[in-house]
Amino acid sequence: MELQFENIIKNYKGKKILKGISLTMGTGVYGLLGPNGAGKTTMIRILADVLRPTKGSVLYDGKDIHAVGDEYRAKIGYLPQDVSFYSDFTGRDYLEYSATLKGMEKARTKKRIEELAHSVGLSDDLNRKCAVYSGGMQRRLGIAQALLDDPEILILDEPTSGLDPYERIKFRNIISAYAKDRLVLLSTHIVSDVEQIAAHIMMMEYGVIQHIHTGEEYIHMMEGRVWLVEMSAEQLVSYQNRAVISNVRAKDGRMEVRIIEETMPSGDAVQAIPTLEDAYLYLFNYLPEKSRR
Amino acid sequence: MSLFQFELRKLLLNKKNLVLLLCLFTLYSLVGLTSTMFLIGGNDSYRAYEELAAACEGPFDSEKAAEAEEIYQEISTRYGTDSRMIARSVKDQPEIILAVNYHAYTERVEEYWNGTPPESVEEPYGIALLQAKIAEMESQGKQDTADCRELSASLQRLEELGEPEFANTLLWENLFNNWGEHMMQFLLFVPLAFVIAPVFAVERSSGMDNLILSSRNGRHRIVTAKLLSVLVASTVVGVLYLAATFMFGFLPHGSFHGWNAAIQSIPTYARSMFQWKAWHLAAAGAVWLIFTGAVYSLIICFISSRMKSQMGTVGVSLAILFVNVGLAAMGDTVTQRLGVLVDFGLTNVTLIKEVFGGYKVFYVFGMNVSYPVMAIPVLASIAAVAVFGTYRGQKSRTVA
Repeated sequence: MELQFENIIKNYKGKKILKGISLTMGTGVYGLLGPNGAGKTTMIRILADVLRPTKGSVLYDGKDIHAVGDEYRAKIGYLPQDVSFYSDFTGRDYLEYSATLKGMEKARTKKRIEELAHSVGLSDDLNRKCAVYSGGMQRRLGIAQALLDDPEILILDEPTSGLDPYERIKFRNIISAYAKDRLVLLSTHIVSDVEQIAAHIMMMEYGVIQHIHTGEEYIHMMEGRVWLVEMSAEQLVSYQNRAVISNVRAKDGRMEVRIIEETMPSGDAVQAIPTLEDAYLYLFNYLPEKSRR
Repeated sequence: MSLFQFELRKLLLNKKNLVLLLCLFTLYSLVGLTSTMFLIGGNDSYRAYEELAAACEGPFDSEKAAEAEEIYQEISTRYGTDSRMIARSVKDQPEIILAVNYHAYTERVEEYWNGTPPESVEEPYGIALLQAKIAEMESQGKQDTADCRELSASLQRLEELGEPEFANTLLWENLFNNWGEHMMQFLLFVPLAFVIAPVFAVERSSGMDNLILSSRNGRHRIVTAKLLSVLVASTVVGVLYLAATFMFGFLPHGSFHGWNAAIQSIPTYARSMFQWKAWHLAAAGAVWLIFTGAVYSLIICFISSRMKSQMGTVGVSLAILFVNVGLAAMGDTVTQRLGVLVDFGLTNVTLIKEVFGGYKVFYVFGMNVSYPVMAIPVLASIAAVAVFGTYRGQKSRTVA
């Protein structure tokens, strides 16, 4: 199974949202990282066939997904950024309705709902109205919906927003176990979501996929560029406007600052073990004035 | 549950809409009840009227007409010439109500033979008038024109129907007023706009579009399910209106008298070309209202599929209804110019008094076609366009 983006361009209200994206994805977990407004959700929506590109096409095993139509949509599970519910639907109603939309058989639906409700920890809440669910419960229900028909292609847009740390770990485990022989595309701006589970990580900004590498490759790229420097609070104030700082920690009355720079920032700087988060900040050149834009 | 059952639940079978249906049924029942109460006094008055009218039922009687005329002249100087106003003013005097009704019947008999000058140029009526017009056209060599054929068909039909007879159809007349006047359009069609509007718009406003449009059945089958649920919802609202006004129109007097009378005995339907009894008209009228309600609902459904908000859908749907009401209320000069637009506009085509009460004939492909027969394909075409547009819209629909 192969999904191919062929020079996808999307313009909206005179603004170029996607600027010619071309890439090929096979089975495995793909992480899509990028700041807000990078075009991640637009790319996800095009892949989920709820939005049409201005130019270019998405090919599923060499065929345009619009031409494949219903059969393509039968293979995808999609968790949108904002999960919505009908006010009088219970969790079970919502999943049954989703299963009906996906064309699932009744007997399988019932079994699958019980399985997934157990997986996402909603077994005791299935008969409650969705409207009274907490944000985390709604998100988990959305994840269950996306997994319902055991889709070949799983598209998740900001799946972990609103989840607590335990739920986040649980979610990662579910996806890791699920991803075998399937394609999972996980869009997020939370680096740790993809760090653990994504085999390929795409970094997107300004409507362009800037980089596609494995997590290890990104980390390798950062070797010799991450430094720990101890400084006073006053020094930090003047320093933070001209360097990419990935972390600051108070230590014995001074500040231990994690700096991303090509060269050693000061004589007492010590090299640190890089992380994907460092790579994200480095590649998007996250100087403070840029992050405020 | 099937997709259709889910859609029906979303559209109709939910707590909010079931409460709305209950409120509508109460309102419709009140309409039926109050219209009957204004018709004639208490049950005793109606019984007395029924007995008095029984003696007058049948063909035209000039002696009874003269007696009725005398009472009418006296009463009209006091209460004016509007028969409904007179009935409301003297609702406990059945003999006067009968005299007023017999007077109106006498005028209908006169109209049957001689028409009522000044006659509408478009729709001449009356045996003598039609004969004169046909003779005039024949003398001008226009006997093979469509207009002349229409007049000949009208004359032939009028002769077949024969002179109207008098019958006590007081309660049926009231029922058909409730079903066939503009009030029905406000009571039935306005609530329909509110009930049907969310069918697609709610998915957009709630964001459920994402889930639906990315699903296997979210582009085609869901439209079928939604259209079916729309038809069921409009039928339910229509049946509520029909049932409530029927039940509470007859219940207070416990009588269905006049059910077998010719519809020409009912003033509004005196010019009808259908050789029907009152119960035939009730059955046909009920089916027609459900049918036109369904067509209007499909139009709302189409609008809903194109709009982002429910209230926007309601607004556009009501605007269409009111523009049609406005057009139909324009003077003869305007309505004649707009012709087909008014004839088959939402107002005329939904009023059973216009559809079944007239004697309008259309000359189409060498055949004389009556108004309802002509209206069916017109409405079916509008419905087909709405359905096609809805399917097409969903196929190409995207989320912004």
